[in-house]
Parts: sequence; structure tokens; C-alpha cells
Amino acid sequence: MAMDFLPKNGAQEDPLEAPAPRMPATTPELEPGAPTDLELMHAIQKEDPEALSLLYDRYNGIMKALILRVIHNEAEADDLLQEIFMEIWNQAKNFSAQKGKPLGWMVTLARRRAIDGLRKKQAYARAGERLQTETEQQPDAWVHNTTEEEISFSDTRILVRRVINTLPVAQQQAINLAFFRGMSQREIAANTNTPLGTVKTRLELGLKKIYDGLKELRDEL
Amino acid sequence: MSFEEFQNQARLYVIGALEAEETEAFELARKHFGQKAEDYMAECYSMHEAFALSLRPAKSSDALKERLMAMVRERRQTG
Repeated sequence: MAMDFLPKNGAQEDPLEAPAPRMPATTPELEPGAPTDLELMHAIQKEDPEALSLLYDRYNGIMKALILRVIHNEAEADDLLQEIFMEIWNQAKNFSAQKGKPLGWMVTLARRRAIDGLRKKQAYARAGERLQTETEQQPDAWVHNTTEEEISFSDTRILVRRVINTLPVAQQQAINLAFFRGMSQREIAANTNTPLGTVKTRLELGLKKIYDGLKELRDEL
Repeated sequence: MSFEEFQNQARLYVIGALEAEETEAFELARKHFGQKAEDYMAECYSMHEAFALSLRPAKSSDALKERLMAMVRERRQTG
């Protein structure tokens, strides 16, 4: 099985071989004077469409990549992306900065919707067959023309991937199946023919390393 | 459950990997540790953000944004 966390197109994507990034940040750097995500969320809470437009421009690429990682279908991903931003508009009043950052809230929302969509699809197909097929036919969402948005996120991506890529492949796989597929530990064990206890250990160790690595990154700021 | 055990479970919980039978004990521990637990959970949720940021952004069409903004404007007028 391919590891979604692993780079797919050679050395350019290998964080271990990438040059040291200029800014050790875990969130993208904004243009001077640009509103912060939090300011945009507050404006959306006051029903300002322009704020949603800016938030969409800033994050539609990441959100779509996340959806594609879950459902692997371009047209369905577009439909879901639209629904998710509509939900952001409708549910913005439920966002609280005390509970986390806007991007985290949006990603949590998008992931939940995408996994719900995946589960509906899987109701019509045997889960094992589907996983195999989708892995083999996975669209190459990593390769397309470079955009300004992509450039602005590249440093962050390199840093985060550097943390993720320190994990053994088996740990990456377990986390990938849990996060992007919404699988429980038992489902991961069944799908990878791995003892449940091993899956649990892989998830625990992998998540701790990622958590500690990200914390270290933030502390370096 | 010790706080360290809670932390382990919290990291599993936020990515949805906690089994149903573990969730009950986890929720009890969450209540027991109170604000300290909530603060830790909020930190754990930052992993969601990081996983998304590890992906290369995918392109979507301009038409999609136009449809979205039209829906938003319509909702705003009727709401």
C-alpha cells in the first residue's frame, strides 16, 4: 500500500533532502497587511462575504487536497469543497478561538465531512476491494502547475513533512489510515493484517513523535 | 488513568482512532482532569492542521468559487 504521507515525485519532494527552509513556521506566512485567519473568521461571523472569499482563496487548495486524500475523486471533491465552505459560512458562529485556530477548525470540519462521504460510498462496495482499487488508481494530486498559493505553503509543508517523515513507514501508514480514512484501530488491523496490539503501539508512538515534533517546531519560533 | 495515559489516548481520540470501549474511560478521565485536559486536547487538534498542511494544495476551478459566493450572497439576502 502506498503511504499518503510519503513524497510521490522524487527528491524535490523529499523533506530530508530539501534545503533548510527560511521560516520555521507551522502555519503559512501572510502578506504584510493581510487579515489574519482569526480576523477573517470574526468577519465571517458578522456575515461578511468578502472575508469568506479571502479565506477560500487562502485555503481552498489545502482543503481540496485533504478531501482528495480521503475520497480520491476530483468531481466529488469539488462538490464537497463547496459544501464545506458553505458550512464554514453557516457554522462560523460556532467557532471559538479559545478552542483552537481557524484552520484547525476548518480541517476538522472538512475531514469529518469527507470521511462521512467516504463511508457512504463504501456502503456500496466492499471496503477491502475499494481500498485496494483507490490506492492503485489514486489521482496524482501532488503534481500540477505551481501556483502562488503553493509557493506560500511550501516552506510549511516541508517542515511538517520533515516531522512526519521521521516516523517509520508502518507508523505513517497506521496514522494515514486513521486520519485520512477514518479507520478505527480494529479496522486498521484488519486491513493491514496486523495484530491489534501492534497497530495500537504504532499509532501511539507515531502520534507522540508527531505531536512532540510539531511542538518543537512551534517552540523554535 | 494517569495524565500521561490520558495524553496518549487524547492523541488517538482526536484522529478518531480510539475504540468505542476506550472512549468511556477516556471521557471520564477528561472530566477528571478538567481544564488541563481541555488545553491538551486543543493542542492535539493542531495535529489536524499539520496533517492538512503536509499536503500539496490541489487546484480547484474558478467556477466553483463563483458558485459558492453566489450561494453565500443568496443565503445572506434571504436570511
